[in-house]
Amino acid sequence: MNQAHQLEKFEAADFINRTHRPIPRSYGDALLAAAKKDKRIVALTADLATPTETDIFRDELPERYHNVGIAEANMIGLASGMARAGEIPFVHTFCSFATKRCYDQITMQAAYPNLPIKIVGFLPGVATLLGVSHQAIEDVAIMRAIPNLVVLDPSGPEYHASAVDAALAHDGPVYMRLKRPETPPENDIVAKDFRKGEGILAREGGDLTIIAAGLSVTEALAAADRLAADGIEASVVDMASIKPLDADLVIDRAKATGAIVTAENHSVIGGLGSAVAEVLCDAGIGLPFKRVGLADRFAEGGSTPYLMKKYGLDSTAIIKAARDVFGKKG
Amino acid sequence: MSQADNPKRNIAELENIAAKLRLRVVEMVAPTGQGYVQQGLGSADIFTALYFAEARVDPENPNWEDRDRVFLTTAHNTAIFYATLAERGFFETERLSTYCKDGSQLEINASERMGQFVEATCGSLGQGLSVAVGTALAAKRQGRPARCYVVLGDGEMQEGQVWEALMSAGAWGLDNLCVILDFNEMQCEGHMDNVISLRPVTDKLESFGFAVQDIDGNDMASILNALDAARETKGKPAFINANTLVGKGVPALEGLMAHQLMFPPEVAENAIAVLKENLS
Repeated sequence: MNQAHQLEKFEAADFINRTHRPIPRSYGDALLAAAKKDKRIVALTADLATPTETDIFRDELPERYHNVGIAEANMIGLASGMARAGEIPFVHTFCSFATKRCYDQITMQAAYPNLPIKIVGFLPGVATLLGVSHQAIEDVAIMRAIPNLVVLDPSGPEYHASAVDAALAHDGPVYMRLKRPETPPENDIVAKDFRKGEGILAREGGDLTIIAAGLSVTEALAAADRLAADGIEASVVDMASIKPLDADLVIDRAKATGAIVTAENHSVIGGLGSAVAEVLCDAGIGLPFKRVGLADRFAEGGSTPYLMKKYGLDSTAIIKAARDVFGKKG
Repeated sequence: MSQADNPKRNIAELENIAAKLRLRVVEMVAPTGQGYVQQGLGSADIFTALYFAEARVDPENPNWEDRDRVFLTTAHNTAIFYATLAERGFFETERLSTYCKDGSQLEINASERMGQFVEATCGSLGQGLSVAVGTALAAKRQGRPARCYVVLGDGEMQEGQVWEALMSAGAWGLDNLCVILDFNEMQCEGHMDNVISLRPVTDKLESFGFAVQDIDGNDMASILNALDAARETKGKPAFINANTLVGKGVPALEGLMAHQLMFPPEVAENAIAVLKENLS
């Protein structure tokens, strides 16, 4: 009995943290802080409190928190009812279930009535051990297609507090895909800002531009470092706001550098790469262009570095694409 | 083969298989902390009964068209599932050591890429029962003897689709469908009664047109009797509410509500020692 009691502290129920040490909860802390300021904010989860960092909210504001059970479609409907009653619901589960499992409900009960429902997904893209069912490789594509909906893909926990602010600043439905660190970071996380509809020029170079989002931003910056060592100077844009997309910045970089690579932890169909291509085509800009992302295929469960390499999402894949477009500039 | 003549219906032998499978579960999960120990220990008796006494499956011919279908709809309960499949001869026991490792087909959530013995990929909870109902309906239409067994999770029953599937199975009177609820009362965030309670689940299922049995899911004789009764029921699908204890077989773990238990090495060693003692 005593041993069983001791064991409780080893209960992870987390799916993400692979250590026995705590990981900072940039999102969870920011949501709680926002909720303390704005009493309209309520939080819902479909049986994933710890992995969505909402256990803090549960413990501090239990009267405004609901674990609805493993019932995502119901969760969206509940949130719609709450939003129609003047509240601002943040709903939480893994990206895959937050989007695909309740797509129709999101369309009809969040987006069409343009309600302030903030859909917060974790485990974006391929980066999880949990396999195909838990890998959101097409969430950006389908969410981007819904009118009224804002889609955010922040590059790391330093932007998670800002994502809460951006979601609240938009008076309507928002989808954000958040990636928690898998191990405790070596240094403290220093919050950084981004805004809806604005890309961040994370690195400036004149030879080509890598436009990345989410987990791929780190890979893009690493790729740019290695390219620079070979004399190729790449700009890197962190496009945390996928919809609305910063079309001005895309066009500016296209004109300034003459070649573009996109990089995303998502299928190459319908996501960031497609969004950038749409902007370029609409503007009548033709230039060497490549999309780095999951080819039109399913992945498998595995460690993040393994999957990023195997499925061609890592810095090596970005470098290859970058050299290719740079070579075609002529 | 008539089930009554099945030489595998030796309770002591089956209990020994279950004990061996429990040991494998701990050995598979302990090194990395990946996988689901508590659920595996709790459902070892169900898996043993299904694969070693009940279901007509053939490891030599896993794609046999008239095989009984076993659906693991709680696709994360893979430590016990893979241990059972290996012991039954579907693949080499050595492959269990690759569990959850990069490049292994033995993923934490079972994928049908392993072979047809994974009847459907069900990591997204709530979908498997519908597929099983479709399979049962097709078997009826095609005049095949195949029975469809579903190991259903209790937390999973919070998904609305499960109730759509149950309603259709009841309405169509699919007596070749046998749903076994692994009622361990645990979900990610703890005890189900503290999240969204399922009670009274047997009343709910009876009202949906199922022949319902309520049993101790860790008692081999009870499981076998329930499977017999289910097979003999005509005109209704069967629902066996198997009340299971998480962590069953390791006193230090029994009843510990830990959906994902990353236990320290000394606890794993203790569990392995206890389970080895239970092997005859």
